[in-house]
Order: sequence, then structure tokens, then C-alpha cells
Amino acid sequence: MVELLIRLKFTLGRHTTGATRWFSLSLILLGAGLTWYLTVTAASAEVRSSLLMLVLAVWAGGWVLGPTITNGVGVLRSQYFTLLPLDRNRVGAGLLVTMFIGAGALFTLVATSALAWHAWASDAAALFLGLLGMLLLVVFMVSLSRLVFRALGAAMHSRLGMEIASLQWGLIVAGLFFGWVAVQPALAAVGSLSEFGLQGTAVTVLSVLPTSWPVLAVDAAVAGAWGAAFGWLGAFAALTLVTVLVTVRLLAPAVTSRGVRRRSRPLGSRVFDGGRPLLPDTPLGAVVGKELRQWWRDPWRGLELRSSLYAGLFIGLLGLISYLPQIAPFSGVFAVVIMGMSSSNLYGHDGTALWLSVVGQGRDTVRAEIRGRQVAIALLITPLAALMSVVMVVATGEYGAVPYVLIGLVVALGVTNGLAVLLSVVAVTPGVDPHRRVDANDTGDNQLQVWLTLVAFPVLAAPTLAAAVWAGAQGTPWLAVPVALANGALAAWLMGWAAHRRLESRLPETFTRIRYGKEIAAQAVPRSGGLLDRLERGALSANNEIKPTGS
Amino acid sequence: MGGMTRADAPAAAAPALELDELTKTFNETRAADGVSLTVPRGAMLGLVGPNGAGKTTSLSMAVGLLRPDSGTARVLGVDVWKDPVEAKHRLGVLPDGLSLPERLTGGELLDYWGRLRGLDRDVTRTRAEEMLKVLELDGAERDGVLVAEYSTGMRKKIGLATALLHAPDVLVLDEPYEAVDPVSARVLTAILRRFTDGGGTVVISSHVMALVEQLTDRVAIIAEGRVLADGTLGDVRGVDATLEDTFVRLVGAREVSEEDLTWLNS
Ligand SMILES: Nc1ncnc2c1ncn2[C@@H]1O[C@H](COP(=O)(O)OP(=O)(O)OP(=O)(O)O)[C@@H](O)[C@H]1O
Ligand SMILES: [Mg+2]
Repeated sequence: MVELLIRLKFTLGRHTTGATRWFSLSLILLGAGLTWYLTVTAASAEVRSSLLMLVLAVWAGGWVLGPTITNGVGVLRSQYFTLLPLDRNRVGAGLLVTMFIGAGALFTLVATSALAWHAWASDAAALFLGLLGMLLLVVFMVSLSRLVFRALGAAMHSRLGMEIASLQWGLIVAGLFFGWVAVQPALAAVGSLSEFGLQGTAVTVLSVLPTSWPVLAVDAAVAGAWGAAFGWLGAFAALTLVTVLVTVRLLAPAVTSRGVRRRSRPLGSRVFDGGRPLLPDTPLGAVVGKELRQWWRDPWRGLELRSSLYAGLFIGLLGLISYLPQIAPFSGVFAVVIMGMSSSNLYGHDGTALWLSVVGQGRDTVRAEIRGRQVAIALLITPLAALMSVVMVVATGEYGAVPYVLIGLVVALGVTNGLAVLLSVVAVTPGVDPHRRVDANDTGDNQLQVWLTLVAFPVLAAPTLAAAVWAGAQGTPWLAVPVALANGALAAWLMGWAAHRRLESRLPETFTRIRYGKEIAAQAVPRSGGLLDRLERGALSANNEIKPTGS
Repeated sequence: MGGMTRADAPAAAAPALELDELTKTFNETRAADGVSLTVPRGAMLGLVGPNGAGKTTSLSMAVGLLRPDSGTARVLGVDVWKDPVEAKHRLGVLPDGLSLPERLTGGELLDYWGRLRGLDRDVTRTRAEEMLKVLELDGAERDGVLVAEYSTGMRKKIGLATALLHAPDVLVLDEPYEAVDPVSARVLTAILRRFTDGGGTVVISSHVMALVEQLTDRVAIIAEGRVLADGTLGDVRGVDATLEDTFVRLVGAREVSEEDLTWLNS
């Protein structure tokens, strides 16, 4: 069976797009090269040992985050096998084995073999410990990677899991946008790394990580402390075994229900109890109510909202630990912008549920549909971002930043809100249809929207930025607040208007995009159209199509 | 559902639903090839055909979900593609296998839907409550079950409720009986009968010949995107004993001979 699974994996691999694969492959090659470079050029055995700990931790980090970032490319999902009459745990084990086949595991082995070299160079008698450690490290990292990826999928079945997944995503996003803040001092130090190694607390922190235990084992053996050496390696072997067993269990296909399990009536679900409704009795009120409930209850939407907030928070914290405390008060602003990106594929997210808007089209319903979504997003993110800003300002004591934070918040709330609905309509990209969703990344791809937001946000907020710079130079930054208000409001209103005009004129085409997929949708985009048509073409070719696992 | 009022009286004597040369090509497949049908007011039409015949495609084009390559559809004389708002006001639609706002309860979904369609809150509430009771979804509603947690049959039923809520003149239902249990099927049949008795028109698609035969007064047989027969049940059936015989005669049957599948007996 394992052989069959491996062949299946390669077959699927052949159908995945090239760019991500080449990118990760070159990253892996680079990593392996760098690992060996640092090991060989290290000035002493001590320096080498501390560098190995660092490098191994980075490898493990790469394995943990990699599949999530690349959407699980080249991964066989256990749901593919739910219906086969095979022993569940055997499928799980088989699936785990398939993970060891491929460039990733191979080059990780090349990298971890630096540990064997370290052992041999220090004391030939420790070589067998180094070799054992080398193999165990590969097994550990690959299983851990699967474990985390599956945990992300399983995440959608419990509140706690969703929270963990959001944290992880928040960390990834923060790292993607602001990793350089942390990486910069590290890079500056890299030149002197092979000479002095790591100093002080860094080594203490690193040596606690499991990936450092095999290194510690080798070091102990070299120092003649064989008992300690076997202790460290034994501990690591035990941990690896546990990881493998848990992973096999998690990889075993399971037939599960959809999404978070609830134990009580969902909040706000008593529509028939005759209480005074809070929202107006209009199509707009209806849409706002529906959207707020969906944001609140849908684990996939919860993931986007929470990970945006966490990303904002982590960016602030990254600033704090990297001696750039000025960044921290702007955490809320970052959260708003990232939330804008996360919600820039709302219609892809809702999938074929758009049919209701198509058959229920009335005089004013499409406008209500767009405006209602804008209102719901603003209602959700505004208080949270404001709270985060206040907390961060107080925590850092950067009170001078207050007017700028306010300016940033106001303009970001408006601009990203407008961008989100406009891109949601124009660049709609469906994922797995909501009622068939299982994994955390089953929602539609929105890479184009993310890049566009990154480019468009500063452009659309330019008047505010200019005003803030000018007013700041005059010593009266508060003067830019009204400009930010006008800028934000106008952007939200205008792009919302463009969005509902576009959706109204292309309602069945938008549904076709979701229901029938790329190729058929492409036939309905005017060849020589305006900006929005070109955007739509761009989304059709740039965004990946995530196919449902069912029929 | 006595409290329902029909949408304002439509123009003159136009038929309830007209499909006029609807054509759609997906890649190379002709999913619908000049599909024309006329459904008189008060009729119940069963659209039957093998898998992939083009039923869903034709009905989607008829209700404004899929833009035809050519041809059009009219609801009580109103062109679906020229005046969609007016036409959709008169239509109630149940598509097959699509998502809904999954994280609402059935009651919340109807509440949202009623207000989106411009019904006032009290009317929506009364109708929704009555409908949930008749369709036996009231228990799930009391427990706060979300649509995402509904079974396939329950999804059909809540979909039907959304189609009926604004008291349309014409109902277009894609596979309404699929996955519905026999008791609920009787309820569904009773609702549809009540609807046509009140002057409403119903189009359903189905593969189940026996069901279509006992339920509807008109049938249309469609295969490979073309209408092969269309008329009253008696006319279409002609000399054949059952509708299934007519269907097999028109569509052609793949016979399973003695030599095929012999391994099944081993
Ligand atoms: N997304 C799609 N891409 C390409 N072709 C499609 C797509 N959806 C449907 N088709 C094709 O259109 C044709 C008609 O399909 P349709 O869904 O209308 O059939 P149907 O009569 O509803 O079948 P069923 O009884 O199985 O529901 C089929 O040949 C099918 O292959
Ligand atoms: Mg169909």
C-alpha cells in the first residue's frame, strides 16, 4: 500500500503549479548549503555546537510552517481515503511514510548530517551518536510537520484548535510582513557568527529546544559524560516516537462533521422569541445581521478575524523585541490592514451561497448586500483595533504616537474596508464549497488580493500620509485627523459603490465563476475591458483553484 | 399556507414559464441545445432526463443563475434576462446541492431572506414559523441547529422554504425529492398540490419516473441538451404503458446482457 501511496503522491505532485515548488526547493537547497557552511567554518567545537542548535531550530521551524504557507502542496490528504476499506491506522502510517519521499526530507538529511560531521570532528568515538541523532532529527521534523498541518485541519472542530490555528497564522503573517525587523540584526551578526557563535541567553533558550538535544548528546559524549549523552539522545528518541505515534493517529482518516461543535444554542439565534430586534427592518439590516452571525460563528471566518488580530499583535511585539518600539503602538493599524486582506475574498468564502443573492435580486438588494458586508466588517474590527491600539500605547508609553495612530486607524479602516468588498467582487476565487469544507485552508485563494492591497493601500491613503507628514512637521499632527476621516470615508464609499455596481451588472457571471470554475468564467470576461475586467482576468490566472475533496 | 397572497397580477394571458431556445456550451459540451418549453399557468411540469442531460443547466438559465449563450426565458411574460428584478419577484427557486449561509439556523435564514426580499418582519416571522413546523424543522430550530449541521434532506426542506417564503407565482425546483424521507415527501407533495390549486405553477426536475408520473400533469423529456418530448402526461406516454417505457424508448437503453458482469455471480 505504501508504494501505491507514494506513486499517488508523485502523480498529484505533477499537477501542482511550478512556482511554489521551485521557490521552496531553492530555499531548501540554500538552507542545506548554509548549514554546512556554518558548520565547517565554525571557529571551535563550542561555536559549532551553538550554531548547529540554531540551524536545527530553524529547520524545524521551516518544517512546521512550510506546508501551511504553501497550502499543503504535494500532500496527500487523509480524507481522500475515508471510504476505502483499509485499516485507518495503517493508512495513517502509510501517509506519514509518503512524507519522507521527496526533496524536502532528502535535503533535511543533508543538513542534519552536519551533526554527524560535528561529532566526528570533535571526537570520532561520538560519531555513532551523531549518526543516530541525524536520522532521528529527520524523522522528528517530518512527523512534526505533518502533525501541525493536520492539527490545523482538525482545528476547525474545536474552539481551542481554532485559536491555536489563528495564533499560528498570525505568527506566519507577522513573520512574512515584519520578519525583516527581527532578521536584520541577525543578518548583521551572521558575519561574526562563525567566529564567536551565539552568546548568553540565546544559547540557554536554544538548548531547551528538543532539536538541540542530539547536539547536547554529542557534546556530552565528547566531554566523556556518556551517561548524559545517552540520556539526551534517549529523551529525543522517546519524543520522536511520541510525535510519530500521534501523527499516525491524526493522519488516520476520520469521518467528521463540519466545523466547530457546539454545545448550546448559538448566540443571538432566537429570532422567533419576539424580542426587539437591534437592526433595522430593511435588506441592509438583514445583511448586516447575517454577516455578523457568520463572522461570529463560522470557524473559517473566525480564523481570518483572529489571525489578523494576532498578526497585528505579533508585529507590535516583534518591534518591541527588535528595539523598534515605535512600531508597537501601530499594532491596531496593522491588524486592520491584514483584516482587509483576509476579507478580500468574501464571495469566494461564501461559495455557491451567492445563488440566494442572484435569485433574490430586488431593486436594492445588491447594494444592501455590499454595504451590509462593509458595515459588518467595520463593526467587528473597529472596537477591537481601537482597544489594541490603546493597550499598546499605554504598554509602551509612546503617547506621542497617539495622533498618528488615530490617523492610521481611521484611514486604514476606510480604505481597506472599501478595497475588501471591491476585490471580493472583482477577484472572487472560490475554494471548497462551505458545506464540504474540512481543512483550515479550504477557503479560496486570495494571493492576488493580498498583493493588490499591499500596493493599493499606500496609494489610496496617500492624501492622508502627505497630510500627516506635513502636519507633523508643523508640530500639529492632529490637523491630519480630518483628512484621514475624509480620505477613509470617501474610499470606503466609492469602492463600495463600484463593488455593488459591478456585482449588479455581473451577478450571474460572478455566480458562474464560483459554480463552474475558471475556464467557463473566463469566457464571460470582456477581452478588452476596463481596469476591473483586467483585474478579474488577473485573478483568474493568478489565484489557485482549490478543488473540493468530494464530488 | 392560507395567509399567502400572490404577487401582483401578471400581464394578460402569457404562460407561466417559457424557455425560448436556451443554449449553453461548456467547453465543448453542449449542455443545452435550443431548449424550448412552455408551461401553462396552474400546471405542474416534470422535467426528466438521464444524468448530465442538461436539466440543471436549463433550469439555471430559466431562473437567472446562468447566462445563456443564446435564447431567453420568460416568467408570466416578463423576460428573465431583460427585467431580472421583476421576473425574480415572481419566481421561487430551489437549486440542487448549493451552499447556503451555513452558520445561520433555519429560522435565521428565513428571517434574513424574508427581509432581503422586502417582506415585513411580522409577515416573515409568521410564514417562517409555519413553514418550519410543516416541514418538521421546528425541533432543530428549537435546538439552535445550524444549516451546516443539517442533513441532506433537511437542506432540501429549508431550501424549499426559502423558495416559498415570498409567495411566488412560479416555482422552479431542481430535484426537490432527492434525499427526502417518505413522510417528508408526502408533505412536500401536499405543499406543491396546494400551491397549484391556488393557481401557482410548478416545474420540478427528477430522475424518478414513477414519482413524476403520479405527481405531475405535464412532462418534458430531455437528453443531451435537447427536448425529446413535451406535453401532457397522456400525450407524451402515448401507447406506452408507463412513462419509464417512453423514456427508455426515447433516450435509448443500455441493455445488460447475459455475458456482462458475470463476475457478480461468482
Ligand atoms: N462545471 C462544469 N464544467 C463543464 N461542464 C459542465 C459543468 N457542469 C455541468 N457540465 C456539463 O453540462 C451537461 C449538463 O449538466 P447538468 O448538470 O445540466 O445535467 P443534469 O441533467 O442536471 O444532470 P443530473 O441529473 O446528474 O443532475 C453535462 O454534460 C455536464 O458534463
Ligand atoms: Mg442536475
